[in-house]
Amino acid sequence: MDTKPKILLVDDEEAIRSNLASFFGRSGFAVEIATDGQEALDKTSHFEPNLIVMDVLMPNIDGREALRRLRQSGNWTPVILLTRVGESTERAMALEEGADDYLNKPFDPHELVARIRSVLRRARPGQPPLSTASRLSSGPISLDRMARRLWLNGEELSLTPKAVALLAYLMTHPDELITRERLLDAVWGWDYPAGTRAVDTRIAELRRAFDDDPADPQFIETVPGQGYRFIGTVEAAV
Amino acid sequence: MTQMPRSRWGFAFGWVAFSALIIALLIDAQTDNPIVYVRIDLATLALCMGAMLSCVMALSWWFINHRERRVRIEAMRIQAQASDERRRFLRRLDHELKNPLTAIHAGLANLADSASLDSRQEALSSVKAQTVRISHLTADLRKLAQLEIGELERGPVDLNEILEEAFMVAEEDPRAADRRLNLSIPRAPWPLPKINGDRDLLFLATFNLLDNAIKYSRPGDTIELRAFEGGTMVTIEIADTGPGIAEEDLPYVWDELYRGHTTRSVEGSGLGLTLVRAIVERHGGQANIRSRTGQGTVISLRIPIG
Repeated sequence: MDTKPKILLVDDEEAIRSNLASFFGRSGFAVEIATDGQEALDKTSHFEPNLIVMDVLMPNIDGREALRRLRQSGNWTPVILLTRVGESTERAMALEEGADDYLNKPFDPHELVARIRSVLRRARPGQPPLSTASRLSSGPISLDRMARRLWLNGEELSLTPKAVALLAYLMTHPDELITRERLLDAVWGWDYPAGTRAVDTRIAELRRAFDDDPADPQFIETVPGQGYRFIGTVEAAV
Repeated sequence: MTQMPRSRWGFAFGWVAFSALIIALLIDAQTDNPIVYVRIDLATLALCMGAMLSCVMALSWWFINHRERRVRIEAMRIQAQASDERRRFLRRLDHELKNPLTAIHAGLANLADSASLDSRQEALSSVKAQTVRISHLTADLRKLAQLEIGELERGPVDLNEILEEAFMVAEEDPRAADRRLNLSIPRAPWPLPKINGDRDLLFLATFNLLDNAIKYSRPGDTIELRAFEGGTMVTIEIADTGPGIAEEDLPYVWDELYRGHTTRSVEGSGLGLTLVRAIVERHGGQANIRSRTGQGTVISLRIPIG
């Protein structure tokens, strides 16, 4: 029996499909290919992938619509969306429609494979992933992702939108080391020189709000020279 | 084009009206203002009325037509300017893509032909570097597009903090070690006011300019970051004693992908200043540049406090 994780790769660009497929193959995955959203939905039912990597901008049914239909049918196969435009609205949409992660094009294929591995590690088969929950909680922290509101011990905190978005990203990737560059890419939408300072500033804002001691953190841990990790236990709240 | 300016027409009409008034006053003062009876046959009256009316109609028709033509000409001029800018942008984009793509072609050819592992490694890393270069270019273009339409995340921004932070990061740059960097922010009688803006973008604009100043100056040069408040605006200035910018390049430095004649050799996307200007304008401010070749450059960003 084949125990390789099965990846369904959906993109309308032949060059991207063929190159990524062989890269996935060499990275130890079994790969199936689809060229648009409709084909992706068709193939999901009989190929039963462990994870779907899907482009957003595609003819016929685009990635966003395909993901929405998949989730509506109660299918919780993890999905990584490949976005082309890096607009914050598009990233917010990706969250609302239940993508497990998203990556801006152009990207390094190594980075994509690293993301696939971490999503697969996080996945709880048959259950909705944290990234589809609209409310998350960790101890005294409670976060409403849709409304972008945050409470500590039932008391609402007033933080900058960036800090809240940053916390949302960290909480949907608990126990995962996330580099500053990745946080910039995911929350700010673009990387820029010295932009990693912006991440540090927002982390400091969150720590102040939670009274989290960086030397003995309860929520956000600094991994020196690498990035940050959310170490609290995260639960999807109803 | 022979166009009579509006002011000249106004002047002519004014004269006619003024002369009529003077004549009327003269007649009234000098004579006993006799009553004049005009006898005219109906056909001639009709003819005269018709002639006058058609004169008035012809004149107004000419006026309206003239004005429309002027509006059309202005629209055409704006359109021509826009398509000019677009052509220049496409030409520069073509140029920016051509070089890394040529390098990639060459690298791939080397990769296919060369037998030794070393030269294959070299070709590989060069292809990779060029790919990164194109990625940066698309990332910057995306940033710019997003900046022009995206919503700003506004809030009260402490400029002191931003300027100090940008200055600190610039000082850490190894190239800054042999340049003199000065920071001057007013403390008395009061510090810079908070402005309503997007903190990350304002930091990016300031840092970009400092980074540029370091990049384009020479060892021993002085770079100054200063800020002051004046009326309803805060001005941030980044000045350097670098080589300056040629006069013929100055009007274009804010354009997308523009690379001055002397800066082609320095690495960069040619989008840094365009980004800075877009950020400042999205905050309702203005960006200006003054430069003298051989003496240096100063860029000032004026941002409204409100």
